[in-house]
Amino acid sequence: MNDGHKTLKACCAAAYHSSDVVPLLLGDAYHPGGAALTRRLADALAVAPGERVLDVASGRGATALLLADAYGAEVDGVDYSPAAAALAQEAARAAGMADSVRFTTGDAERLPYPDGAFDAAVCECALCTFPDKARAAAEFARILRPGGRLGLTDVTADADRLPPELTGLTARIACVADARPLTGPAGYKSLLAGAGLRTTAAERHDDALLSMVDRIEARLTLLRMAAPDRLRATGVDLDAAPAVLAAARAAVASGTLGYALLVAVKAD
Amino acid sequence: MNEPDTMRPQAPRKTDRDEVFAEFTRSICPVCKTPVDAQVNIRDNKVYLRKSCREHGGFEALVYGDAEEYLHSARFNKPGTIPLAFQTEVKDGCPSDCGLCPEHKQHACLGIIEVNTGCNLDCPICFADSGHQQDGYAITHEQCERMLDAFVESEGEAEVVMFSGGEPTIHPNILDFIDLAQARPIRSVTLNTNGIRLAADRRFAAELGERNRAPGRSVNVYLQFDGFDKRTHLEIRGRDLRTLKQRALDNCAEAGLTATLVAAVERGLNEHELGAIVEYGIDHPAVRAVAFQPVTHSGRHVPFDPLNRLTNPDVIRLITEQRPDWFRKGDFFPVPCCFPTCRSITYLLVDGEPGDRTVLPVPRLLNVEDHLDYVTNRVLPDPAVREALEKLWSASASMGTATTEEKLRTAAGAAAEALGCAPDSCGIDLPQAVRELDDKAFMIVVQDFQDPYTLNVKQLMKCCVEEITPDGRLIPFCAYNSVGYREQVRSRLSGVPVAPVAPNALPLKDLLTSTPYGSRTPKPSTASEGDGSA
Repeated sequence: MNDGHKTLKACCAAAYHSSDVVPLLLGDAYHPGGAALTRRLADALAVAPGERVLDVASGRGATALLLADAYGAEVDGVDYSPAAAALAQEAARAAGMADSVRFTTGDAERLPYPDGAFDAAVCECALCTFPDKARAAAEFARILRPGGRLGLTDVTADADRLPPELTGLTARIACVADARPLTGPAGYKSLLAGAGLRTTAAERHDDALLSMVDRIEARLTLLRMAAPDRLRATGVDLDAAPAVLAAARAAVASGTLGYALLVAVKAD
Repeated sequence: MNEPDTMRPQAPRKTDRDEVFAEFTRSICPVCKTPVDAQVNIRDNKVYLRKSCREHGGFEALVYGDAEEYLHSARFNKPGTIPLAFQTEVKDGCPSDCGLCPEHKQHACLGIIEVNTGCNLDCPICFADSGHQQDGYAITHEQCERMLDAFVESEGEAEVVMFSGGEPTIHPNILDFIDLAQARPIRSVTLNTNGIRLAADRRFAAELGERNRAPGRSVNVYLQFDGFDKRTHLEIRGRDLRTLKQRALDNCAEAGLTATLVAAVERGLNEHELGAIVEYGIDHPAVRAVAFQPVTHSGRHVPFDPLNRLTNPDVIRLITEQRPDWFRKGDFFPVPCCFPTCRSITYLLVDGEPGDRTVLPVPRLLNVEDHLDYVTNRVLPDPAVREALEKLWSASASMGTATTEEKLRTAAGAAAEALGCAPDSCGIDLPQAVRELDDKAFMIVVQDFQDPYTLNVKQLMKCCVEEITPDGRLIPFCAYNSVGYREQVRSRLSGVPVAPVAPNALPLKDLLTSTPYGSRTPKPSTASEGDGSA
């Protein structure tokens, strides 16, 4: 995925010692909103056949494959995790799409592509985890051609109003504590503007985040069912999870936490 | 233009219809069974089918209690699989050429063999019009062979055959028939029974248990189980069978048999008992599944209002309302192999002790929708998960069969993998732990069969549940019960004329009279020429 992924992986193990379950639940092959929101993002970007598109934090390749298959794009996927990139490459091969989709291992803050190489780029639920967001935004701008479009979906958060359950290191990995609001000086729009990317469309999709919270809750239940003894033995504190999930739901309801889709354009 | 309206004679004003016209299709007249044009319309977020017969006038029935889901589910319509053989030709068009004719859109996920018409009960509700009757039929060894062969010829490797009736356990050759099925490439046998023999005859249960342990084969019990109120038993089955059902299930458990509780659900009768049936099933060691079927208004049944019948979304809503701690909207998912509005399924992982259960519906773990959307036809990074979900959300899925349990492990394992923690970093091999959850899995099926009121050839043409006839045809279940095929087959096999059956619907009350078997038939003055179209 990215630096966040590395942190996440490290923290995943650490979580067992810190008795915190949040990162364990968030390592997800599917981002909020699923394929439906990805299509909405691609439609908003008006991805056209033959266009070169980059998927930053491409995970197991679902989005890249969709963009190539349904939109006819030539897609590159880059992920911080070599394992994810390899799985995605294998999926592309198995689908007979290795010609139109390629996956590489790389860092979002140092994208391994030349300037102006892409007509469009997407980044789903990942910018919020990048430690140096301004650097990542500058990289998005660099690899886009003049007039190229960037499509983001990401967690939005009003950091000052987040409850204590949703701050701290694990919440940072959980795309929460370091998520930004949509607007304002620290917001995503300003961040992109600083990199020369002008926001042309923004939509709220808070329901997608609620569904994600539901799914996390279900997986937590699964974890309890499948490995109760081993969980106890490793000292993981599952009792804290309900409070975190409840806090997340309440934060979405109050507008402190949300999910947004955003399209920005690099100046000609 | 500027004159006030009152100065002029009132101009006629156009008005809007109170419904959205959604589909034009074909159905049948519920009285004379003649194929007629039909419309599907949406009013108040509910879906209705309307049609009219030249002779018998107009008819309308509720077909789906949630219009939004009806439209939404169109995306989960899996391209059908072409069977290896068709048994009939296209002559008069659907639904008169069953079956299967070359226009049929799907192979048979499930084949049904009705071994007899006789039964040790005379239920007030029985779509097969069975009972203590002297003039019915029981199939022979040779007929059973022929029927199984027809199924295998059409399927190659078949997933499930169901023996039904009548009451199949009172057929003297029923074990022999199961052996015939197991000797063929048919993975699983389901025995559809009222449980009377299973309750009384432990040796019979043991014989079934033995066959359930045959390598690569399974035998599962599909037990009628409508609820716990005495009234439910009396009004649906004509007898209080409560202790007997318990004993039948205990004998299944002892014999190592897996059972599905099958509830016929009728408005005003047992619709309040659905949650209790699920809970009872979860708590009983033999039970791994519950199937809820709104009463099929074919054959014998109590009077009903076609505009206020139960449909799949209504049943799902009732389950959710009756066990709100366990279920919520979205926990059930439509089955793509048949028409998605025909059947919905959910799987549960269940933990804890009776009275203190944790129930986890599997669709909450995975984005099932992303995997089973066939219209956008996406390339997926994990085709094994789609394949697993396809087998699980199928008419041939059955707890207690190797296929279903293996696919359940794949799906739950994928959900566990999505947690993103590899065993080396976390010390827990979660996917493996989840694959060991086998005995905690439970299935709920909701299936609304079509009747002569609700029949829509759009759904019928993709039906994947087929009645196998001794002359080697595979007739879609809902056509068999609605169009006149059942009467035709019974008449041919028993040598006794069988009256065409019409639904015991309130609007038809004055047109109908009773048949010798307790079902309703058009009065001679109202029936048109002949005995239906089949």
